[in-house]
Amino acid sequence: MTGATAALPARVSARDDQRSPKLDLWICWWVFPAFYTLFGLIFVVLTRVMPPPRPGVGVDQINSFFHAHGTTIKLGFALLMVFIGLASVTNGLVAFQMKRMSVKPIFTYAYIATLAVGAVPGALFAAFAFLAAVFRPDRDPHLVALLYDVGLLTFVGSLGCFTTNYLVLALAIALDKNKVFPMWMAYITFWQIATELLAAPVFVFQKGAFAWNGAISFYEGTVIFVVFLGCLIVLLRRAIQQQPMDELVQD
Amino acid sequence: MVSILETTPTEQPRWHLPGDINIWVFVLADLFSFAFYFVVFMVYRIEHGSVFLDSQRHLNLTTGALNTLVLLASSRFVALAVQTARTGDYRRATRLVSLGGLCGILFTLIKSYEWFREIADGFTLPRNEFFMFYFSITGVHLFHVLIGLLVLALILRELREPSLRRASMVEAGAIYWHMVDLVWIVIFALLYLAR
Repeated sequence: MTGATAALPARVSARDDQRSPKLDLWICWWVFPAFYTLFGLIFVVLTRVMPPPRPGVGVDQINSFFHAHGTTIKLGFALLMVFIGLASVTNGLVAFQMKRMSVKPIFTYAYIATLAVGAVPGALFAAFAFLAAVFRPDRDPHLVALLYDVGLLTFVGSLGCFTTNYLVLALAIALDKNKVFPMWMAYITFWQIATELLAAPVFVFQKGAFAWNGAISFYEGTVIFVVFLGCLIVLLRRAIQQQPMDELVQD
Repeated sequence: MVSILETTPTEQPRWHLPGDINIWVFVLADLFSFAFYFVVFMVYRIEHGSVFLDSQRHLNLTTGALNTLVLLASSRFVALAVQTARTGDYRRATRLVSLGGLCGILFTLIKSYEWFREIADGFTLPRNEFFMFYFSITGVHLFHVLIGLLVLALILRELREPSLRRASMVEAGAIYWHMVDLVWIVIFALLYLAR
């Protein structure tokens, strides 16, 4: 068994190289748009977390929100639990390209760590708060309102991990001498940071532009995030195309 | 523009994009963000006209105007530094960038004093819609000023070291600094002056 597996790689890779070079990278790349499309479908269409429902509403309205969307919330977040792990493939692909940069791998470690931690307040916490809210429809309405606040405050207000994430990515691109990503991507990433900062007032306001469903704290940040994500997907494709087949990537 | 008209058809037009394309992508993107804040501000101003007008009276016009002058002076120093760096007089360019940076620090100090006074008088961010915009927009702008100071510091470091000197770096920094200045002028007009 050991002998057979040891002999296999050389034979397979020689044939594989000709047929579909970089197949592993392309599989990971396709996960990127697929995962974020699914993410958008779950959060926008099914669970109604995006665009966020209004913060300044009464207990009754919050309860009727969960009654109206109970089934799709369960369906959507159950789907999320099945697929959320794919986020690690998308982050792994960016981290791998960061390792090709001339900067020290500390940036890569920080990138992976910030997103691994950020997934908890940025998606999972909101999902479980909403799932718990619709789990027992006869629960005390005030407790349901609490879960509504917890879910949406963590979802829109989780900033620190993501600002650091953008900062390390932007710095790595800006300092990289191998030009894996163009310099303008560093600027686009820096641009993201300022918009993230303006989501900080969501903890104070129940209505207006800076509330969790506000024009500035939610809509602007989300539009810029989509632009950023689009640029990242396109540039990852370019980086994979330009990556030499025999390139050694630092450990 | 003049240089394009003066060239004969056979010559390559000597049109030069200051800095590089990357910095322009950033500046235009950032201006889009600020434009968005201003539009949202105006929408809320129309909705809550009386609250906005009452609150606006509590802003200190003198410090606002002073800061506008300080930032304009700063931009002038940086613009002169670009011209001087292009001629190769790096010693003078260094002095001018330092002056620009000092003005930036002065702006930060005046802004901090203004905020301190307003907060001491009870005009804090959660007070009403106007102060929410006031602190957020001036806060994001101040964040840009601080980044600008960092950029000017990097330019100074490059200007002092002959092997590192690049006119494009000075230009890129100046483009960013002018954007910070431009945005402040709009903030001053919208938040302090518009009645």
